[in-house]
Amino acid sequence: MNARSISFRLVAWYAGLLTGIFLLLCALLYLDLRHFLENDLRESQSRRTRQIANTLLAHVGQTGEAYVASQTKDWYEPEINDRFIRITRADGALVYVSGAPKDGSFAPAEVPLFPPSPKTEFSSKLKLSGGNTLLVAALNFKSSGNPGYLVESGALLDPVESMLDHLFLQLALGLPLAVIIITVGGYLLVRRALTPVEQITRKAEQITQHNLSERLPVAHTGDELERLSHSLNRMIARLDDAFQNSKRFVADASHELRTPLTILRGELENLNDDAGLKPQVRDQLGSMLEEVERLSKIVEQLFALSRLDAGEAQTEWTRFDLAELAKTTAEQMNLLAEDKGITISCDADRKVPVAGDRARLKQVVVNLLDNAIKYTPEKGSIQLRVHPVNGHAVLEVEDNGIGIPREALPHVFERFYRVDQTRSGDSGSAGLGLSIVKSICTAHGAEVEAISIPTLGSRFLVKLPLSSNTSHS
Amino acid sequence: MRILLVEDERKVADIIARGLKAERYAVDISPDGQNGWEMAEAYNYDLIILDLMLPGLSGSEVLERVRRKNQEVPILILTARDGMADKIKNFESGADDYLTKPFAFAELLVRVKALLRRGPVNRSSVLRVGDLEIDRLSQNVKRAGKKIELTSKEFSLLEYLATHPGRVFSRTMIIEHVWDQSFQGLTNIVDVYVRHLRAKVDDAFPVKLLRTVRGVGYSLTDGTQT
Repeated sequence: MNARSISFRLVAWYAGLLTGIFLLLCALLYLDLRHFLENDLRESQSRRTRQIANTLLAHVGQTGEAYVASQTKDWYEPEINDRFIRITRADGALVYVSGAPKDGSFAPAEVPLFPPSPKTEFSSKLKLSGGNTLLVAALNFKSSGNPGYLVESGALLDPVESMLDHLFLQLALGLPLAVIIITVGGYLLVRRALTPVEQITRKAEQITQHNLSERLPVAHTGDELERLSHSLNRMIARLDDAFQNSKRFVADASHELRTPLTILRGELENLNDDAGLKPQVRDQLGSMLEEVERLSKIVEQLFALSRLDAGEAQTEWTRFDLAELAKTTAEQMNLLAEDKGITISCDADRKVPVAGDRARLKQVVVNLLDNAIKYTPEKGSIQLRVHPVNGHAVLEVEDNGIGIPREALPHVFERFYRVDQTRSGDSGSAGLGLSIVKSICTAHGAEVEAISIPTLGSRFLVKLPLSSNTSHS
Repeated sequence: MRILLVEDERKVADIIARGLKAERYAVDISPDGQNGWEMAEAYNYDLIILDLMLPGLSGSEVLERVRRKNQEVPILILTARDGMADKIKNFESGADDYLTKPFAFAELLVRVKALLRRGPVNRSSVLRVGDLEIDRLSQNVKRAGKKIELTSKEFSLLEYLATHPGRVFSRTMIIEHVWDQSFQGLTNIVDVYVRHLRAKVDDAFPVKLLRTVRGVGYSLTDGTQT
C-alpha cells in the first residue's frame, strides 16, 4: 500500500488518534479505580479504629482492658471477616490481637508494630512474608486517665489487587483488538469511499488529445465525488472544444489559403509566359513564384498535419517490411546525400514486419533522412538502422552533423520550431517536417525521440509495434 | 473541343479559361452547382472541370447527377481539400482525375490533355527531342548518335520531361510522377537529379535542351527556343 495515499493516511491518522484516546481513557479508568478502591478500604479501616477507640477505649478506665479485648472480638469477629485488629498499650503491652483469619492468608503475630508516631491517625501498606499485602490503619488514642493506646485495623489488599489485575488484563487484550477492528473497518470504509476516485483516476490517465470525446465515469452518489467528476467532465468538454476549434482553425485556414494561392500562381505564370519580358522582370517574377511555391508547401504540410490530428480514416493499412522500405528510401535519397558528399550507410538486413500506412511511414523515413542531410556538413555520414527490439520495430537515423542544443531538444517536434538561424539555413523549410513525423508516428501508435550531442551529431529513434502474423490482415 | 468549367471563384475561373482558350479549347464557365448541372445536361461537353466547393449544389452532388445521366464525359475535380477519404469517395462516384489547389496551370493542362486523349501523349516507343533519342523499351538514351548512360531515376525523369517537349513541369508534378507522394515537400531532390541529368545530357553539347524556368519548374526543349 502506498504510504502517501489518502486512504493510508486517513486510516493511519484515525487509528492513531483513536488508539491514543483509548489508551488515555483506559489509563485514567485503571488509576482512578485503583485509587478509589484503596481509599475505600483504608477509610473503612480508619473508621473501625475510631469506633474501637471511641466506644471501648474511652471507657477503659471503668471496664478494664480485658473487657475491651473481649468486646472487640465479639463485635468485629475479625477472624471470620479475614481482618486484622490489634490494640497495644503505649508501654508496648499487647491488649488484644485478632487470631489467624479463616482463610489463613496471614499470621497476625507477624504483623510488625508501627513505630511510635506523633500523628494521631496514619496508615501503611505492609508486605507480608506470604506475599500478601495488608493495608493497616492506625490510631493513637490518648485521653486523661489512661496510658494511651495504639489501635490498628487491617484488611488484605489482595482482592482489590486481583480485581485491578483482571481489569488490566481485559484492557490490555481488548485495546489491540479494538484497534485492529477500527483500522480494518476504517480502511474498508475509506476504500469504499475512494473507489470512484480510483476509477476516475484510471480513466483520466487514458484520456489524451486523441480521445477527448470520452468522459470520466460519474459516481451517482450525490456527494462531492459526483460533483468532482461532473466538473472534470465539463473541463474535458471545454478542452475538447478548444482542441477542436484550433484543429478546425488550422484546417480552415490552410483551406482558405488555397484559392488565393491558386490565383496568385496562375496570374504570375501567365505573366511569366510573356516572351517579351526583360530578364530582370522575369527574375522578379520567378522569385515571386518561388515564394508562392513555398507558401503552397507550408499550406500543404499544415493541412496534412491537421488531417493527421483529426485522426483521418486509416486508409490502406497493410503489413510490410520496414527494413525493405527504409533501404529503398535510402537508395532513392542517396543522390541528395551524395550531392553534399555525405554517405548513407544502411543497416537493415533482417526482416522487420510492421503494420501501417506504407506511404505515410515512408514519409517518416524521407523526412528524417532529409533532416539529417540538411544538418550534416559536407563529407559527413548518416547511418540508417532498422531492427527488432523486444517486440518493437526500431528505426534509427543517426548523423554526425551539427547536433541540436540541449535546450532545443524537447521542442524539435513542435510546429514551426526552429533551433536557430544556422539550423533553418537557406533550406526554405518551414519547420514542419519533424512535426509531421511525430503526427504520423502518433497515428501509428509509435514513439519518436531525438537524442543529440551538439557538434557531434543527432540520433532520431522511431519505435513501432511489430506486426504479428495475425493482426491487421 | 468544348470544356465546361464549374468554378465559383471568378478569378480562378478566368485564369483557367484564359489558359485553356490559349490552347484553342472552347470554355464555358458556370459559377454555381445548380447552373453547372443544368449546363452539363443541356450540352454534350467533351470534358467537365468541377470545383468541389460550390454554392447551391455541391461539387460532389453535381458529379453524381452528371454521372447518373452521362457515363462518358471525363470529369476532372478541382479541390481545396485533399483528404484521402474525399479523394476515394469522389473517384467512387465517377471522377476521372483529381487536382488539388494550388496547382500549376501546366499541370492542369497535362491532365486535361490526358483526359481528352489528344495532344502529344506520345505513345511511340522512341521519343525524339532535338537530337536526343529516348528508347522507352530498351531504356537507351542517345544524343547526336552517342549513347548516354543514365540511372533508372534519371531515365524516368528525362522520359517524363520528353512526353511534352517545351512544356514546363513543376517540381510537384515531377515528384508525383517520378517519385511518389512520400517525397512531397522534398522538391530539392528534383533539382539535384536535374543537375545530374544536365551534366550527362547537356554539358558536352553546345545546344542546351534542359531548361530551368525559375519559380515554375523544368522543361525539355528541342533547343530552338531561347
